[in-house]
Amino acid sequence: MGNMDTEERRTDQFPVGMRVLAVDDNPTCLRKLEELLLRCKYHVTKTMESREALEMLRNKSNMFDLVISDVEMPDTDGFKLLEIGLEMDLPVIMLSAHSDHESVMKGIIHGACDYLVKPVGLKELKNIWQHVVKKNIHSYKRNIGSSRQLQPSSESNPATSVSRKRKEKVNDSGDDENDSDRDEDYGDGSEQDGDESSTRKKPRVVWSQELHQKFVTAVQQLGLDKAVPKKILDYMNMDGLTRENVASHLQKYRLYLKKIDEGQQQNMGPDAFGTKDSSYFHMAHLDHGLRDFPSTRQIPSSSLLSRSHLNKFHPSVYSSINPQGINSSSFIQQGHHHQNSNSSSSANPFGTYHHNSLLPRSQSVNLSPLEPLQFPRNKSSAYMGDFKSIGDRGLGGGFLDSRMSFGSSSTSLPSAPSNNMMFQANYTQPLLRPTEGNQSCLDGALSNSGVHGLSRFPSNNTWQGGLKPARFPSNSLPLNHGFNQDQLTTYAVNNGMEDCTSLVSSTVNPVGENMHCEPQLLGDFIGNMNTLEGQKWEEQSCNLLNNPFGNLEYPVVPASNMVFRDNNNANRSKELVDESLMSPLEESATTLNNHQEYVGKPENAGLVDNQHDVFDDIMNEMMKQDENNGMVSVATRFGFDSFPPA
Amino acid sequence: MNTVVAQLQRQFQDYIVSLYQQGFLDNQFTELRNLQDEGTPDFVSEVVSLFFDDCAKLINNMSRSLEQPENVDFKQVDSGVHQLKGSSSSVGARRVKNVCISFKECCDVHNREGCLRCLQQVDYEYKMLKTKLEDLFKLEQRILQAGGTIPQVDIK
Repeated sequence: MGNMDTEERRTDQFPVGMRVLAVDDNPTCLRKLEELLLRCKYHVTKTMESREALEMLRNKSNMFDLVISDVEMPDTDGFKLLEIGLEMDLPVIMLSAHSDHESVMKGIIHGACDYLVKPVGLKELKNIWQHVVKKNIHSYKRNIGSSRQLQPSSESNPATSVSRKRKEKVNDSGDDENDSDRDEDYGDGSEQDGDESSTRKKPRVVWSQELHQKFVTAVQQLGLDKAVPKKILDYMNMDGLTRENVASHLQKYRLYLKKIDEGQQQNMGPDAFGTKDSSYFHMAHLDHGLRDFPSTRQIPSSSLLSRSHLNKFHPSVYSSINPQGINSSSFIQQGHHHQNSNSSSSANPFGTYHHNSLLPRSQSVNLSPLEPLQFPRNKSSAYMGDFKSIGDRGLGGGFLDSRMSFGSSSTSLPSAPSNNMMFQANYTQPLLRPTEGNQSCLDGALSNSGVHGLSRFPSNNTWQGGLKPARFPSNSLPLNHGFNQDQLTTYAVNNGMEDCTSLVSSTVNPVGENMHCEPQLLGDFIGNMNTLEGQKWEEQSCNLLNNPFGNLEYPVVPASNMVFRDNNNANRSKELVDESLMSPLEESATTLNNHQEYVGKPENAGLVDNQHDVFDDIMNEMMKQDENNGMVSVATRFGFDSFPPA
Repeated sequence: MNTVVAQLQRQFQDYIVSLYQQGFLDNQFTELRNLQDEGTPDFVSEVVSLFFDDCAKLINNMSRSLEQPENVDFKQVDSGVHQLKGSSSSVGARRVKNVCISFKECCDVHNREGCLRCLQQVDYEYKMLKTKLEDLFKLEQRILQAGGTIPQVDIK
């Protein structure tokens, strides 16, 4: 009780002067809304144009505490505003004249804190400040909660111990890294906190690379058919993760796998990603994240990737060889830049793996339990650590040691056979996973669709088109030469990636392995990533967002749980996908709509040009966000300072 | 004087109640009035003016869209109806809002004739309400000028 009183007292001051941005294209409604908000003693900025609102949000990220916006504005999309607000970790309340279930669902799934039906009354507005508090508390907890990091309880589990080591290692480098862990942790933990409002939205579980990897491992161990949420949960052994979280993630994962499967069988077009796009992409990202894209990106110009290396990455090789092993070693030697350069010395199977995994695309999805590298998520370097841990976990571990260095191109092949399984599973991912740094195509696609949902993915969305994994029959993939320009062009054209070919050309030898198998896609991605930085998300998002919300297939809980939005990393999405890139992908754009739930902010602070910096960038962003949203502002909000009436 | 004020106040009260009773206004209008205070003495008239201006503009646009029988931009009409419905409901213009509901139905099925009828009706309703509210505001002014205060009216 005492605590509550204090809390109330502290927050009593807070709502006064809370800075609200009100957006509605109806002047009558806007004026009334303004007055209602003023009556609540908030500080109100109003605009009829969402464009203006977006500008204000972008230019001064700290200017507002909350955004309240109509969703049905003919000239603009309230959902876009929602996305931007979410990216910036601002609570966004949607206003609408529609009270039907679907509309409300759409709003909530897109991440709105609340959904109010017009006409709005004073009573409803009097309580909107709670959303600001909630967000701040969340950030606050994240900032201070290092001791409360979720720790797998089992010491003996190599995966967990490795992951803990990774965490420690990361922690050593500074507080920044902690955030990423904590984000995930809190994402899970807050689920349990019960601090949700009566709107019953669950805190979002952020499925980080690492978490996803654990999940995948669990699923593999149990066998996909037998993998039930409860068992997976037990296997994963993560405090704070609920069965529900796992269940929804599992559902998405299954869909993702299914899509990959389907994709394998046909040209993976945007429609392959159908309604479950958001899940798919998200999964792809997670899985893909293990790839070390940045490294691949850097490779292009390097001589590291010699032709001989390419040999190693023959898809069939991959399937048979533990790609991790090969890749990791080779990559390591290549100085792949896994984000954590220190990882180079340790076989980082995942890092290298992803390269390989790109190859498999053409192979059928084989979700063998051994699949180590699951869908490496195109995650920025922040996840490099994950690779390591995953590798250590043993699937790739063995290989690492035996891996052949790049040098021995031919030898790698023969040893492949034993590892068939592993690799296959991997690749199913759509080629879309280009380089880590740049964000795989999928990521791009994801980013596009969900934009911000893929919080961790460096947004380079250039990819969009990436949805069509290149189909390289494994045998036919030429080992010895990276795709040549013609191939790329052809491929790209065939796959509607005309736009990308020019980009690809610049990356003929990029990621090396990756390029092989999926030359176009990888090249495209890489190229895109390199050149398409700073694409305009908005346009992309617009495309995506404008599509009517597709299948609300995910149950509400999972959806909200699975919003892969890292609230604390409200990085402005520089990762907006270039609209031009999107054009061939209209279909995918449509399907991507379904990923709207991923409207969170991409964690990545932008296109990752330089792998080495990615992680830092992310961390910096996170820190900045935390600063903005965290202790300082929380303190202020809770009355430690007088509330600044901006 | 007091009698004058009292009389005016009673007049005001009766008038506004009748507006509610005849369905011109609903509780959202009450909300608007509640938002008005010494700090914002003209709030209600400001908002309803915005509303009426909006009406005129939207009706005008929709009328143009509906003009050519072969070439009706129902999307535009729908957008206009939506806006009109939103603003009328937020100010408590109940009759206008109700016409918008029918209007939307006609628009959904691309019934141009129906839309034209609704358009006409909406035009009539908003103008009617405008007149009524103007009278109400005039009454308010007279009360204030007579030194009285605007009565708080409880609408059942």
